[in-house]
Amino acid sequence: MRTLLLLLLLLCLPCAALAEGFSGYAELKGFAYGERFPGEPYGAGWGTLYSKWEQRLAESQFTASLRAEWLTWPQTSPLVFDPADRKLRRPPLSVPELWLRVPLAPSHDLEFGRFQLGWGKTDGYSPADAFLPRDVTDPFADEKLPLWAVRLSGQEENLRYQAVLVPVTTPWRLPPLGTRNAPIASGALPKGTRFQEEDDAPPLPGFAALRLLATHGDWDLGVWARSGVRPAPILEFSLDPALQNGPVPVISVGRRYPREHGVGVEVSRVAGPYVVRGEAAALFSADPELGDALIGTLSVERGFGDGTLLVTLAGNAIDPPVDPTLLFDRGLLPALIVAWNQTEEWGAWKLVWDCGLKRGDGLLKGEVGYNLTDTWKVTVGGDLPYGSERGPLGALHGARRLMAALRRSW
Amino acid sequence: MTRKGFKSLLLLLAAALLLPLCTAPALAAPDARALLKESESRHRTKTQQYSGDLTVVNKEGKVRKKGWNSYRQGYAGDSKNLIRFTDPPEVKGVGFLSLPRPGSDNPDQWLYLPSMKRERRIAPQDRDASFVGTDFNYEDMEEFDHEKYKVALQGEETLDGQPCWVISAIPLEKGSKSIYQKLILYLRKDILYLVREDLIRKGDKEPAKRLVLSDIKNVEGHYVAARMEMTDLKKGSHTTVTLKQISFNRPQPASRFTLQNLTREGGD
Repeated sequence: MRTLLLLLLLLCLPCAALAEGFSGYAELKGFAYGERFPGEPYGAGWGTLYSKWEQRLAESQFTASLRAEWLTWPQTSPLVFDPADRKLRRPPLSVPELWLRVPLAPSHDLEFGRFQLGWGKTDGYSPADAFLPRDVTDPFADEKLPLWAVRLSGQEENLRYQAVLVPVTTPWRLPPLGTRNAPIASGALPKGTRFQEEDDAPPLPGFAALRLLATHGDWDLGVWARSGVRPAPILEFSLDPALQNGPVPVISVGRRYPREHGVGVEVSRVAGPYVVRGEAAALFSADPELGDALIGTLSVERGFGDGTLLVTLAGNAIDPPVDPTLLFDRGLLPALIVAWNQTEEWGAWKLVWDCGLKRGDGLLKGEVGYNLTDTWKVTVGGDLPYGSERGPLGALHGARRLMAALRRSW
Repeated sequence: MTRKGFKSLLLLLAAALLLPLCTAPALAAPDARALLKESESRHRTKTQQYSGDLTVVNKEGKVRKKGWNSYRQGYAGDSKNLIRFTDPPEVKGVGFLSLPRPGSDNPDQWLYLPSMKRERRIAPQDRDASFVGTDFNYEDMEEFDHEKYKVALQGEETLDGQPCWVISAIPLEKGSKSIYQKLILYLRKDILYLVREDLIRKGDKEPAKRLVLSDIKNVEGHYVAARMEMTDLKKGSHTTVTLKQISFNRPQPASRFTLQNLTREGGD
């Protein structure tokens, strides 16, 4: 309650900018669900306070940000020190950014600390980017988690490079299993099954990766390689007899993080009014449940006046050894992703259609943002998963919802 | 939103610098082409940088603002441009880089979106598309190249007490890509700087939009309009651009116009 009052106070403050170098936002978001889910409310509210500080230190750049959050559902973790987002649940306080960039030469930088990576070329789905850890506590928000890492990057003529070393694994954060936001329990287990999730510490070493990029005429080309721990867990279910004391089964869920090696190519080309992007990646793992993958994506983008249409096709040429929904970033493949973004005088709106081509499930998403002023914005929207409950999106039918948000930026 | 803003801003700059058409008052028989050529040659600068504010006022009086920093090296079709948004908060840090490509009318353009943490190549924009709901569209932002127009001196007129040459410009190319059939340019006689432009759409007889350039300053020996206002005469809305901290011919670091720099968050 105290957090809510603080958020309301900040929303009402007339400050345009607290100080030079500071920015951020306060946001109140509400969800109304279309279906009753046992033990869960029809609605939920999220309050977020985000503040960012950017400071130039001679030729270097320092950036730090802090996020405070209050969720009515699902519950956040207690106030614990979780600087690498390694705990099971979303912490009420987190540090999304804390990094320093030091120039080694005019076009060569060393960056270290906590920051987000963004790799790949194709939108909607990129095999170079998809393995990076996400927080899917809200399964309809593509929220990438930052990493503790060291990055060396630079450019000579038309060639660029990025070398990244991630010493600590930041794992994917999943919603509480068995809830409307977690598709894993859907239909496969007796009704009422409870999950006891073990807060296993993910392995300490993360991964290392190298990316080389080149530009030539209309073409942007890239190759990458990475090796190390895969941030998406393999879930291990077990039925511990000692826990079977009630009327419903209790299943223990552990997590392990296999190693995976990958190489990939990426390409982008301007062709008249179109931008065509493509990626291919080969991923290798000795883990019998993860297996190998050969993932390809192709996307086309075209502007129409004040709108942009984006169509992406993604697929995996190798069938996974387990149900692909258990592999998270590969769960929906093969998939078609269509997105329309439109800018209006008063704000913007978008429509997104994610379609799983194998199981026929999908997600229709719509969002309208209205700019009350340059700093106040109202957003309303809805998420409509549909189709087979065996698919990762169809299984989320209990999470169909309407959303409304009010944001004050500074 | 973003994508439109960057190119537009770039082109706004072009409007401020390339449209300042100057001539020699001593020319005995003013010729539109000669005036335009002379203007272009006199106003060339090696580099330019400024901070810009953009205000959009719609017909209901609702006001929206944006801010950005702009850096240019080179001139006209050979220029390298970097734009970094500073305001409002939701677009802060968004960057746009445009690099000329030899032998092509279309420069290479990339956008950096902090939310995606990566740069994206973008395609040339629809010429009739406005950006972020402003009264400018992409064609308005393009550098005015008089060689692509049939130009003719229409007469003289006084605007705000300043005698002006009035020049008409009609796209030369048959079936031109231009969304306009004619532009009417007003040049101040004393400094031969563009102070007004009426834009007549294809199929129209009256101007659809009017660009007014004012607050003309002499900065480091170069004339520049620190204020530009585009009015949509049909919609009743207008967009104002003001330039601050303008400087010319200041050496630009070679690394400024690179993709490496575009992706530097918190950088120029």
